[in-house]
Amino acid sequence: MPTPHRPATAARAAVFAPLAGGGRAELVAQRLTDAIELGLLSHGEKLPSEADMARQFGVATVTAREALEALRSRGLVETRRGRDGGSFVTSGAQARSGIAARVEALSRVEIRDMAAYYSAIATMAAELAADRATADDVAHLRELVTATDIESDASSRRGEAAFRLEIAALSQSARLVAEELRLQAEFAPLLWLSLKEQPHRDLSRESHLAVVAAIEEFDGGLARQLTARHIMHSVEWLLEAKG
Amino acid sequence: MIVERVDDVAATAMSDVFDSVFALIDDWRAAVGHALVERNGVVTAAEIDHITGQLVVPRLSHHKALIIGGGFVAARGFLADTDWHLAWWLGSGNTFRAEPDNPIPRRLQAEEDPTSDTFRDYTALEWWRVPAATMARHITGPYVDYLCTDEYTLTLTMPVSFRGAMVGVVGADLFVSDVERALLPALRSIGAPATLINASRRIVVSTDPHRPTGTILREHVGTAELACGDTGLLLVVD
Repeated sequence: MPTPHRPATAARAAVFAPLAGGGRAELVAQRLTDAIELGLLSHGEKLPSEADMARQFGVATVTAREALEALRSRGLVETRRGRDGGSFVTSGAQARSGIAARVEALSRVEIRDMAAYYSAIATMAAELAADRATADDVAHLRELVTATDIESDASSRRGEAAFRLEIAALSQSARLVAEELRLQAEFAPLLWLSLKEQPHRDLSRESHLAVVAAIEEFDGGLARQLTARHIMHSVEWLLEAKG
Repeated sequence: MIVERVDDVAATAMSDVFDSVFALIDDWRAAVGHALVERNGVVTAAEIDHITGQLVVPRLSHHKALIIGGGFVAARGFLADTDWHLAWWLGSGNTFRAEPDNPIPRRLQAEEDPTSDTFRDYTALEWWRVPAATMARHITGPYVDYLCTDEYTLTLTMPVSFRGAMVGVVGADLFVSDVERALLPALRSIGAPATLINASRRIVVSTDPHRPTGTILREHVGTAELACGDTGLLLVVD
């Protein structure tokens, strides 16, 4: 059934999207660590139960438990017993250096390759959306953009995730949506690292509004071009920051 | 004797496919209404889950059924023990985040705590909003349902009333690819390019390869646009 696309909801959908491949406990732990570090899951927020998490990620309950243990040992979550018990996010501070280390470990060519792949998905989605969005869809998309607090790092990340996902949904392609979700989980923490700086949050807002206007004008070529340019700017910032 | 035109016959065939699903939903509506009368309008979430489960689950297990999910969604504050509730069941054809050891069909686990980050006010959504405004049945979609099925979907809903007030909607989800299989023979029988569009002029299915499902038919292109019963769908024939 259709559900509204609140930025927080979309961001969480990406965080908990099903996983593929091996080393699953590690992948679950990695994704949650990224989300905590980026503020997508904030201090004090309650995580789903082991069983719910297992269902959402599409892994065994024992795998979810293993991932939670890893997060506990890194001081990122704490588990409380009792009626209001569960696993709660403690802080993003301990994970702070995690993403920086991943950026450091990746070669420039690997980062460029990820960006090329992500750009292929995101730009095609934008082009199709321009052909397939109704006036109502455009109004909703614009609301989604302006609902983001661009003074806030975490809100901007959620806004970025929600905007990309909504564009993918407007493409009317279930496969593009699935791929967008998968790539967000894998790559977004690195790709949108630039959003920690205010000029890049401003740029993001500007770019999103321009894409919405292009979609409104049925200009798929322009929507594609603007999307590609935005992704390229962020990747170039990342390569610059990597040094 | 009245000789019916071939496109009129096709338009009727289109509405028949949806009417049969609406007839099923209407049975659920009547059964839920009956249960409400029996309980004098006081029902808990667990009770409504039980009632809808008995109605919906047998239908989802039927391997030829078009519907892949369905149930009852409560109006805010109507149930005795919770403000928000979806008694919505997912069928075996819907593997969305299903584990191999999960019982199938299963109930959709939606966030119903309004203070949660992931809570969604479903009364703002088309499948709720339109039937609530018109008090009539409605077809939402096609759309990619990335929070429930991960598939390209249509949602059919109709309002449920109790003592003159709307207390919820009953509805069902269909996969667009299944609907396409069910509709194509009748569309092809017209012998001219034929396209079925929804109330927003979004294409549901077309025999014309230049008209992809999901795109908007922005101009009036055909020689005829026929209403398909009162489904809100239009059959466009070139």
